[in-house]
Amino acid sequence: MTTTMDVELQVIGSALRAVAEEMGAILIRSAFSANIKERRDCSTAIFAPDGRMIVQAEHIPVHLGAMPEAVAAVMALDPADGEIYILNDPYTGGTHLPDITLVSRTRVGFAVSRAHHADVGGMEPASLPATSRELYQEGMIIPPTLLDERILRLLVANMRNPDERRGDLRAQIAAHRLAEARLDELCEKRSSAQVVSAMDELYAYSERRIRAGLERLPDGVYRGSGVLEPAEGELTIEVAVTVAGDQVEIDFAGTSPQHDGNLNCPLAVTRSACFFVVRCLADPDVPASGGAFAPVAVRAPEPCLVNASPPAAVVAGNTETSSRITDAVFAAFSQATDVPAQGQGTMNNTTFGNRRFTYYETIGGGQGASPHSHGPSGVHVAMSNTLNTPVEALELSYPLRVERYELRPGSGGDGAQRGGDGVLRELRVLEECRLSVLCERRRNRPRGMAGGEPGALGRTRLNGKELPPKATLQLAPGDIVLIETPGGGGWGPAPSSSD
Amino acid sequence: MRRVAVLGIDVGGTFTDAVLLEDGHVRTAKVSTTPEQEQAVLAAALAVGAAAADRFTHGTTVATNAFLERKGARTALVTTRGFEHVLHLRRQNRASLYDLSVDHPDPLVPLDRSYGVVGRIEPDGERVPLDLTTLPEIDADAIAVCLLFSFRDPTHELAVADELRRRYPDKPVVASHEVAPEFREYERASTTAADAYLGPVVSRYLRSLAEACGSAGLPEPLVMRSSGGVATLEEAAEHPSWILVSGPAGGVVGAARVAQLAGFENAIAFDMGGTSTDVCLIANGRAERTNERQVGGLPIRLPTIDIHTVGAGGGSIVWRDSGGALQVGPQSAGAVPGPACYGRGGMEATVTDANLLLDRLPQRLADGLELDPTVAAAALASVDPADVIAVVNAEMLRALRLVSVERGHDPRDFALVAFGGAGPLHACELSDELGCSTVLVPESAGVLSALGLAGSDERRDRVRSYVRPLAEIDGLPTEGAADLRYQGQSFELTVPLGGDLAADFHASHAERYGYADESRPVELVAVRTADVNPGPVLEFASDLVASAVGPVRLDLAGATCWVPEGWAGETDSHGTLRLERTS
Repeated sequence: MTTTMDVELQVIGSALRAVAEEMGAILIRSAFSANIKERRDCSTAIFAPDGRMIVQAEHIPVHLGAMPEAVAAVMALDPADGEIYILNDPYTGGTHLPDITLVSRTRVGFAVSRAHHADVGGMEPASLPATSRELYQEGMIIPPTLLDERILRLLVANMRNPDERRGDLRAQIAAHRLAEARLDELCEKRSSAQVVSAMDELYAYSERRIRAGLERLPDGVYRGSGVLEPAEGELTIEVAVTVAGDQVEIDFAGTSPQHDGNLNCPLAVTRSACFFVVRCLADPDVPASGGAFAPVAVRAPEPCLVNASPPAAVVAGNTETSSRITDAVFAAFSQATDVPAQGQGTMNNTTFGNRRFTYYETIGGGQGASPHSHGPSGVHVAMSNTLNTPVEALELSYPLRVERYELRPGSGGDGAQRGGDGVLRELRVLEECRLSVLCERRRNRPRGMAGGEPGALGRTRLNGKELPPKATLQLAPGDIVLIETPGGGGWGPAPSSSD
Repeated sequence: MRRVAVLGIDVGGTFTDAVLLEDGHVRTAKVSTTPEQEQAVLAAALAVGAAAADRFTHGTTVATNAFLERKGARTALVTTRGFEHVLHLRRQNRASLYDLSVDHPDPLVPLDRSYGVVGRIEPDGERVPLDLTTLPEIDADAIAVCLLFSFRDPTHELAVADELRRRYPDKPVVASHEVAPEFREYERASTTAADAYLGPVVSRYLRSLAEACGSAGLPEPLVMRSSGGVATLEEAAEHPSWILVSGPAGGVVGAARVAQLAGFENAIAFDMGGTSTDVCLIANGRAERTNERQVGGLPIRLPTIDIHTVGAGGGSIVWRDSGGALQVGPQSAGAVPGPACYGRGGMEATVTDANLLLDRLPQRLADGLELDPTVAAAALASVDPADVIAVVNAEMLRALRLVSVERGHDPRDFALVAFGGAGPLHACELSDELGCSTVLVPESAGVLSALGLAGSDERRDRVRSYVRPLAEIDGLPTEGAADLRYQGQSFELTVPLGGDLAADFHASHAERYGYADESRPVELVAVRTADVNPGPVLEFASDLVASAVGPVRLDLAGATCWVPEGWAGETDSHGTLRLERTS
């Protein structure tokens, strides 16, 4: 393996990274729904002609490992230059239905954008139902399809707020047109062959870095587990992590079977969660490319909770189960190296909607503490990193009012290093609408590490009355929804107060 | 007729530069910056021979230093009750995606000095009346007030600010609608807190500066703001967050003037110093502006010259990462110990060492510093110096593309104005990559910020927030700019006032995002106007004569220039070296 990198290729690589970032900027700046324009729940990437991911604009970790399947699914249809395909089917390249992915063929490989749309149809406004039991209830299923004006019309006709959907999809298309133009320019300046060589080198480069990071971990088999909170009973994730030299195998044998509700993950999401942990531990700064995950093998029985088969419902898998997978994999690695205490471990998905509007938000909480630093407060901790919607932006656009938005002091676990604090957010609705909440850590506290205390539980209340972790219900004007998000675990024993 | 003398003094981290223009002649001076900046200002004025200037303009780093070093006032924040933690909640995203131990920089106001007051304005007006009895006693040296929706209806915020000013007449109280009347409460609160936080420090400095100038017989200085225009001392002291980017703004104004004298209304200012590089696009003779900038990790929402900064400069350290890629910066060897070739004990190779080995720097600099190629070669070891230049150029090219191509400008229409210690060494090669065909190296490349200061306009920016359908609004001013978007979007495109705003917006949207939708209503978010009182027109001549045909190194008084193969040029009557691509 070479240990230096051709500088010319490195320079082209930096240009490719710029293209992915510019795609992301265009998408965010021209989008219409709060979820993309304010919360930035989207990612963009450039792929090589053979379908390997080369660069990704860093927005949302859960999108990270789950894009290659989308490109593979489109490649199977042999797209022509300049064509844009659309998909969201979790079983053919997607993650959950609200994440709509566009894949376009460029002169050298593929451009990809993925954005979480505020509604894709289905049984509940905002398409995050708490009670779905099969995929059909969660919205319009889009297998990989060539996108043209007729298809666009058909799709948005099946979604609430078709006008907003059309605007957001056009923003996504604009990002792809830009990528096409930029890649053409680059190829004219450097030759397509040079650009493809640079792609190979970028991929190999990330792989070298991750392998170097894995090499530092002691070989062995490490086990971890995590518990999810479905409507009834418990679901468990069991994982065995085998580190051998510069590679790692992550096996979910023993995990609960496929869930009758919507906590299932397609394997692409499970892979994303595993890649996230490996990247945090092996090399947090490695550029995002498929090479960073080449040495990571992920296996799971099929079907099971973390490797679902159609037509299982999956909408909460992407947000909640993925969070718990990272906790379980971190727990396994904790036997090999220092890992942070558990963070809030949920995205606290909250949606409001009726025929007129749909609004989705996820709420940050406490991060777990690390051996040498406290856990940050009021942040997204794992597979998401969306921004909040500013109170003023929210109230100007939606029939919702924010009554309080505060930290929850003391909700982080005590320890030599304290866990981060959760968040309290209180919303009042102005018109009749449906509410869906999809949350975790309402029964099982985020664990501390090395003797640190656990973080506080989260809870959700409607007009003062506690709701179950997952619920969909009808709201009347004046109803008040109060969400308190979990704190992060502490690290190490707290200094005793008598000292 | 009496001769007019204009003086510009720019205080930087290491040096304080002065430029005096009198009767078409430019005099320059450089002195070391002292801990008390007003001392350095006086020394520089003396060194440049400015006994009696008619106009004195000043760029300062006092605000930036106090901000970055966290040496501002003990500040409190008053918000709408229920939103006291706005500065701590930020926008809820974490500081690093994959390094979970990293946190954001602490807010300027701690939780225990964040207070709430009862009262609520909503989009449609007041819902809960303001209850001033709920405003607690505040223990702080400066107070920021940011209530929800004050950008639309400031009555509650004004009442709170008035009450605080009555209670604490000696303490600066800043209300958010006075400083940044725009929607998004976190960014507005962050800006307001910064303004209050800097108040006492900046006022103190400007007071002693005024006294020092008075006793030295200098006119009271005008102070450069981030917007690229100057204002009176009193105005600067009132809103110190407006001078956070004071120094770099002067450089851009100087670059714009030099380009204009050379016949270019469109130019890109390229200022490469020891640790970082600032680039800014100048279109139609005017520097591009933006309305938000991150300073020290915190958002500041104010009219600012749109300078993009990257952590790459002459002193940037060369290293190889665990994947074998050659990296340059962002760590810098600084002035001490400096690049290895300075022989001051620096052991790590830098961009300057690579330039020396490629013979793009002389072995003896104009200020007498001897550079040692043997030490540079030892530090670089097996790394090819040409590779170092390629990597650092890629970093700077990214910044140059960001302000030009990615904002819809074709770089072929622009001249690159190279200044700062290392700018002229890299400018031609960057122009080749970017597509510019002219590079301008001003004679005053080493003191361009001070030159820009001397010629700066007085400028007072105003912003009025609307967030209403454009179709409903009449009676807009005809000069200035409007921030517009399709109803439902969150980011605006800025369109000049005076034309058909809707049509211009659709066209601008199509150009930027590839489509326009004339069926969608257009929303007016804000109107930005500025009162501009033009500064003196800088006219000057120079005796400097130089010419070059690449590949050749050209040692000028203030800078060293590398003219690669395919480039040639000579100086014009203003002393600006004008290089053109010949092939």
